[in-house]
Amino acid sequence: MNNDIKISGTSDPNANLWLKFKSGDAAAFGELAQVHYRALYNYATKFSSDSEFIRDCIQELYLELWERRSFLSETAFVKSYLLKALRHKLIKESIRLKRFKEPKELSFDADEADLSIESLIIENEHLKHQIKRLNQIVSHLTKRQQEIIYLRFYQNLENEDIAQIMSLGRQSVANLLHRTIKEIKDIWMPAEFFWGLIFIAFC
Amino acid sequence: MINYRNYSVEEFATDEKFRQWVLDPSGELILFWEEWLFQNPDRYNTVNQAKALVLGFHERYKDNLSEDNIRSEVNALLELAEISKNKKRISFFGNPFWRIAAMITIVAGFGYLFYKNQLSKKTEISSSVLMLEKRNSSDKEMTILLSDGSVATLKKGSSLKFPENFSGDTRKVFLTGEAFFDVTKNPAKPFLVFANETVTKVLGTSFRIKAPEGANTVMVFVKTGKVSVYPRKEYDTLSDENDREVSGVILQPNQQVVFNRKENRLEKGIVANPDLLSESAVIQELVFDDQPVTDVLRTLEKMYGITIVFDEQTLSQCPISTIFKEENLKQRMNAICQAIGATYEVVDGQIILNSKGCNH
Repeated sequence: MNNDIKISGTSDPNANLWLKFKSGDAAAFGELAQVHYRALYNYATKFSSDSEFIRDCIQELYLELWERRSFLSETAFVKSYLLKALRHKLIKESIRLKRFKEPKELSFDADEADLSIESLIIENEHLKHQIKRLNQIVSHLTKRQQEIIYLRFYQNLENEDIAQIMSLGRQSVANLLHRTIKEIKDIWMPAEFFWGLIFIAFC
Repeated sequence: MINYRNYSVEEFATDEKFRQWVLDPSGELILFWEEWLFQNPDRYNTVNQAKALVLGFHERYKDNLSEDNIRSEVNALLELAEISKNKKRISFFGNPFWRIAAMITIVAGFGYLFYKNQLSKKTEISSSVLMLEKRNSSDKEMTILLSDGSVATLKKGSSLKFPENFSGDTRKVFLTGEAFFDVTKNPAKPFLVFANETVTKVLGTSFRIKAPEGANTVMVFVKTGKVSVYPRKEYDTLSDENDREVSGVILQPNQQVVFNRKENRLEKGIVANPDLLSESAVIQELVFDDQPVTDVLRTLEKMYGITIVFDEQTLSQCPISTIFKEENLKQRMNAICQAIGATYEVVDGQIILNSKGCNH
């Protein structure tokens, strides 16, 4: 997920796709949409539970990209750019539709209700237990911490990309992430150590 | 080769090769990581934690979007992109001459529209399209089937003007009074209802409009999907599609908008009495279990109050099993036709079904 893919006649598939898209190649546009669709949709579901609203937002986002294609930079816009733009659009549209009581506060709010660890096909009970505990810990984090953890470990983005998406400084992202991981570890790991001992003892 | 020896939990959890092994293991990856763990048994706990982290977050944040969903969304996007490409907007960027020219055009345009408005209110109908008008003077509700398969249910005393065939890039109808619309989805051709001083724009949905003649208000209730409502004046003056999106009010199911004619203003609210929206034809569940398709067609005829023309004899050998819930008429007809290998067309407000029967 590098944000600085420079285009200089290289054979980088990302860059090539971007060039084709900029020249008005509909197939390239389709591919671009396809590649990032799930990441965008997934991110949006953390802000709104209205899937139709989300689809409309993503559709608009892509169409705007398509219509402005000749004005876009030569640098390939990637996942982080799209995620940022979508976040912005969700806020804007939500205010327009007055979905949120506090218009400026768009909160990251992942559904926890349908989290069913039991359905996970994990042969290892110990691992299952760890996951359960991890989820308990994460649900007690602040929204901001949850979002940063989500972007880092679910979307697997670099700090720099996260900073761009959440409109934070790079250093603040690094700090917040460090603090959050430490918080998780402090609660998670002692138990882990304990369970690890039991696990080893029974092996 | 990356040296994973000193990797921390977080480093493992964000490593692409590691994540792939955890989330979507394949032969080569399984081999690699099992071999690695065998050689680094002291890292077992770290690896397990990283595994829990990746799996845990994956489970926590996963979505229910199917690959089919994505494909259909991308296809819809491509269709829309094709349309916008064909429109070929003229770009005014950067050239001051064009900006001035555009400004003059806009000012002149406003002037013309104002003039036109004063002169006559009936310029909306494009002369080349043959418009039909139906007025419901009976006591019952009247169903009108439009050429795109959309259905309008007219209350008594209401009337609807519509083209015999929709042409151009929009579907325009003109309503006086009250009607319920069940619009066939077609993102490329928005469906526009002109009623008093409002324009309601939809892509495919069902909703009711109350626009009594001479009354001060126009009400729009949404049952399914999403519609946007604009004051007529604003809709007419704005030519850019994107601007239209901004000026109107977007309605979700069970929301309504009231247009105040005096103040030329739209007010949005929640539908006070949701029962108003329980349109029998739309929500009624129909179950057909191995019944002749002719029965199904007759039920639809009665339900929508339309005529479906079909050959009794050829279709008598076509049994069908289906459940209808929330589909509109067009979707129902498509489902039937697919099941029995037939086709249909809409002619003069009637549905004509072509089939070779089911004996071969």
